[in-house]
Amino acid sequence: MNASLMTLELCVLALGVVLLLADFWMPAERKKYLAYAAIAALAGLLLISFSGQGVCSLGGSAFHGAFANDALAVFFKRFFLLAAILVLFIAAEFSGRIAAGISEFYSLIVFALAGMLFAASANDFAMLFVSIELITITFYVLVSFQRGKLQSLEAGVKYLILGALSSAFMVFGIALIWGTTGELNFTKLAAVAPQFVGSQIFLLGVLLVLVGLGFKIAAFPFQIWAPDVYQGAPTPTTAFLAIGSKAAGFVLLLRVLFTAVPSVMHTPAFTNLLIIISGITILYGNLCALPQRNLKRLLGYSSIAHAGYLLLGVAALSANGQAAVLYYLAGYLFTVLAAFAVIAIVLQNVENEDISGLAGLNQRSPLLAATMTLAMVSLAGIPPLAGFFGKFLLLKAVLEQGATYHGYYCLAFTALVGVVISLYYYFNVVRALYWSKEPADLSPIELSSPAKFFIWVCIAGIFWLGIYPSTVLDPALAVAKSLGL
Amino acid sequence: MEMEVINNLINGGAVTDVLFYVFAALTLLCGVLVIANPFSRSPVTSAMFLVLTILSMAGLFVLLHAFFLAAVQILVYAGAVMVLFLFVIMLLDLKEEERRKLKLFGLLGGLVSVGTVLAIFMRSLAAIKPAGAAPQLEGSTPDLGRLLFSQYVLPFEIVSVLLLVAMVGVILLSKKKLE
Repeated sequence: MNASLMTLELCVLALGVVLLLADFWMPAERKKYLAYAAIAALAGLLLISFSGQGVCSLGGSAFHGAFANDALAVFFKRFFLLAAILVLFIAAEFSGRIAAGISEFYSLIVFALAGMLFAASANDFAMLFVSIELITITFYVLVSFQRGKLQSLEAGVKYLILGALSSAFMVFGIALIWGTTGELNFTKLAAVAPQFVGSQIFLLGVLLVLVGLGFKIAAFPFQIWAPDVYQGAPTPTTAFLAIGSKAAGFVLLLRVLFTAVPSVMHTPAFTNLLIIISGITILYGNLCALPQRNLKRLLGYSSIAHAGYLLLGVAALSANGQAAVLYYLAGYLFTVLAAFAVIAIVLQNVENEDISGLAGLNQRSPLLAATMTLAMVSLAGIPPLAGFFGKFLLLKAVLEQGATYHGYYCLAFTALVGVVISLYYYFNVVRALYWSKEPADLSPIELSSPAKFFIWVCIAGIFWLGIYPSTVLDPALAVAKSLGL
Repeated sequence: MEMEVINNLINGGAVTDVLFYVFAALTLLCGVLVIANPFSRSPVTSAMFLVLTILSMAGLFVLLHAFFLAAVQILVYAGAVMVLFLFVIMLLDLKEEERRKLKLFGLLGGLVSVGTVLAIFMRSLAAIKPAGAAPQLEGSTPDLGRLLFSQYVLPFEIVSVLLLVAMVGVILLSKKKLE
């Protein structure tokens, strides 16, 4: 048994416990600086993972194949570490608005990160379920953290009830899969799955597992929770939900689809299912985002639409498609976190996050206005930013498959319609930044130096990925090839 | 040692049959007393009868050789969950309930759902083929424990982190002062 593969996860868990304990000895007014200690520790782990002899360079599996440290796992582990580091920056900016337990807030973020790291390595349905539960239960607490606010509690209860429901579906699915095949391990399941492709009960099991994962990534028809929870949750939590939780759903989706049940995926019925879900998710997210005035709710609907775009790549069932998914997630990371950081900083003293709160931002802080503009433009998919190249790659992957099955052409057309619709509401936000009629408050915004650093990292990320896509795309292609596509 | 005694006991045909009818009758009787007790309308009495129902169901599991399930049934349901129920009932200080009139809609819904369950039950009973040999039993408690601490030790340990997170969360969300 090769338990040293888990060094990264164990370090992150230890960090979470240390943060909990540090609460005892830190004077109350300095607790918010614990975030920077956590950031430093996680950044150290991220650097070690690139060093070539660190935890992420070891390949192989442990615990009878339940824990796999392959290319896909390593890619997503770095992704999750980076996401958690950036979310902790937002949390530090946000700390003034959390009445009690700020160090617990940081440590819960770190525990959720540990769950995501385990999810990235999960190669077994038991691991999949336990790591998803670790992520989801941590998020129940993180969502309702501002318990003095009714909205936050409401979001927490909604997330709890729908999350529990989706977990029940997922466990039922896992039980059916185990009952028919007798295997929980993905690799072993893949070997026996072809015999069961005709079995209704087995297919129902796979479908129910996909329901559970669909809830995590907020794909239609399991997206109901997303807008309310995004709106009510504290902004750092929303940011982590939008990127971390969604990416965890996608890594498990890729694993289940391409490692565990590849034989099922290539049946026409499942291909059609993926195409239809992807198309409807894109249209639903974009159309519902149109009338929104609340920024976080708007980003909630936009995140549904982006789940749809990401499903384009999954539905393509090709190496290029999966590479595009990974690239798109990387671009989405910087973009959406930049947007949430601006919301957390600018709308500090405003009760609700209405778009009008951004009025006159270009006079209050040109840097923040430029960041928000970049984020919106990248989400909309305008060249030369990360969002454009990601959408281009996803569409290209789908069109490549069009020759084999014409449904892909319809899907690509739907996605294009979605992109055009989305231009309207993204530019609505940009208009509020620069051309707003009613600038109520024109006091300049002072940025702390960590916040400035964070903003510049995000801007650099958005541009870098757009101009030099191969830095992420080449490793992503290698990962996709390692999935056996 | 005790295991053998129990095994011998439940393998002896006549005794098993008698025990089955005793536990089944207890389950049904206590189940009825939970929801429609003619002597007491107190929620605490109902909760105590629910404990008895769960205990007699654990007895049925033992007769099926599902010892682990029986133990979990008692530990988790009769122990943890019911204590929680009683806590809530006592903390909220529920008064004895008024006798409610049966509503037509409720009555209809109840009858339909009981009918559906009964239909499914009869269909599945009819579908069982009369097998020659008794089905092979698997999943004894020692086997389960061995698997849990060897192959599945990692998920098992992650659950402990999950419990820590849940504990921290409950304390944070329920402590009295916001500051």
